[in-house]
Amino acid sequence: MADRVVLTIGTKKGVFVADAAKPRRSFALRGPFGPGVPVYSTLIDTRGTPRLYASSCNPFFGMKVLRSTDMGKSFKETKSAPAFPKEDGRALVNIWSLEAGGGKKELWCGVEPASLFRSRDGGDSWDMVSAISDHAHARKWQPGNGGLCMHTIIRDGSRVHLGISTGGHYLSEDGGETFRASNQGIGAGFAPDPYPEFGQCVHKIARHDDAPGRLYIQNHGGWADWTGPGGPRPDIGVLRSDDYGHSWRSIAKGLPSDFGFPIVVHPHDADTVYVVPLEPATRSCPGGAPAVWRSENGGDSWSRLARGLPKKESYFTILRDAMDIDRLQVPALYFGTTTGQLWIGREGGEKWDCLFDSLPPIQNVKVAVV
Amino acid sequence: MIPIASDKLRLHTMGPTPTITILVPGPLRPYCAGAAELSISAHTVRAALEDLERSQSALYRNVCDETGTLRRHLNVFVNSDNVRDLDGVDTRLSPGDVVTILPAVSGG
Repeated sequence: MADRVVLTIGTKKGVFVADAAKPRRSFALRGPFGPGVPVYSTLIDTRGTPRLYASSCNPFFGMKVLRSTDMGKSFKETKSAPAFPKEDGRALVNIWSLEAGGGKKELWCGVEPASLFRSRDGGDSWDMVSAISDHAHARKWQPGNGGLCMHTIIRDGSRVHLGISTGGHYLSEDGGETFRASNQGIGAGFAPDPYPEFGQCVHKIARHDDAPGRLYIQNHGGWADWTGPGGPRPDIGVLRSDDYGHSWRSIAKGLPSDFGFPIVVHPHDADTVYVVPLEPATRSCPGGAPAVWRSENGGDSWSRLARGLPKKESYFTILRDAMDIDRLQVPALYFGTTTGQLWIGREGGEKWDCLFDSLPPIQNVKVAVV
Repeated sequence: MIPIASDKLRLHTMGPTPTITILVPGPLRPYCAGAAELSISAHTVRAALEDLERSQSALYRNVCDETGTLRRHLNVFVNSDNVRDLDGVDTRLSPGDVVTILPAVSGG
């Protein structure tokens, strides 16, 4: 019976694991694991005996995938990490996403430069998924500030949604055999064409398991005052699709900024979605006052959740994978900051407490009840 | 007769393959069964790396990326000289040379 809430926390100096009994009163922290190098992606794999995975971005010795089979008491490298074929000419720079695939051992992995890999043995061996990695658009994608990363992999039966910065949203409806750009309605502020076929700087995509046709995107917004060619592009930063990602429309009205990184959907209500609006220039919350914003009607209106969060003088960033929500009856949100705080938003984000306040800069937070 | 330069080069290339020692830094020893030193035969640093690719593939992946390029934040020394100050991976090796692989300095 699932009775522990487990967090994986990917930081600039390795991965930490925290866990608590279901009431979530206090979390015990373990780590850091790994050789003190950045961890951009983690996965709590709850299929069968739970396994934890973490990427390990070693600037000296290359990329590794770490795996724990004892719920985060120890981690070991898998037998290999994703790697491009020698004749491809590309070299792995980072691992941005790890997701569970079909069966009990399949894993999917999004990397930089933006490409997709699949493992059928729990991460010991990897094959490149050429349908997207060698897509006709692939050599035209451009890196954003964070690098040319494939940061989102969402699977829904034979559908696979991918988020690429900057490439946009790509959709497969045949299990990954073919992909096409699916960016109708997703704007770009940094291209002459405000709505290009591809090349958008999608920051994160989220979906509710029970409503697979409904998806949300946190896109690279912040272009309301743009005065260059094409004119202002307001409200292109937060979007919704109701047709499995074939088309998108803005739901940014009512937010203090349409720029941000993470986007998270409530586990029991596909209409409830959370974002963290940031000032585009500083990547910090408006006025130095952090807040999560919640919509309970699919983005038609938004409310500010900040009880317990600092009221001023806080200029951290919450990165694209640094916010998650657990699946308990009354779920809690969690976010990590670039200044090393890990926050819990109890009662669906109504009340915030700082769980840990001096971790290394946090890049990734995942939660599961196991 | 004194050989001209090209003959010298040919003689050197054609000569017996020198046996050299590779010193493995601590963090990489788990990838070569704990060995601190490896003895191999190679005319150049490139050939030494190619030998590693065949004989110590796990270690090699830590030293070179998929394209065969030496990882950016690693330094390779032949005796006390960084190969960047010599001929890079084409630096020639002589019998008894010691090739040291070291992570670049980092801090801040």
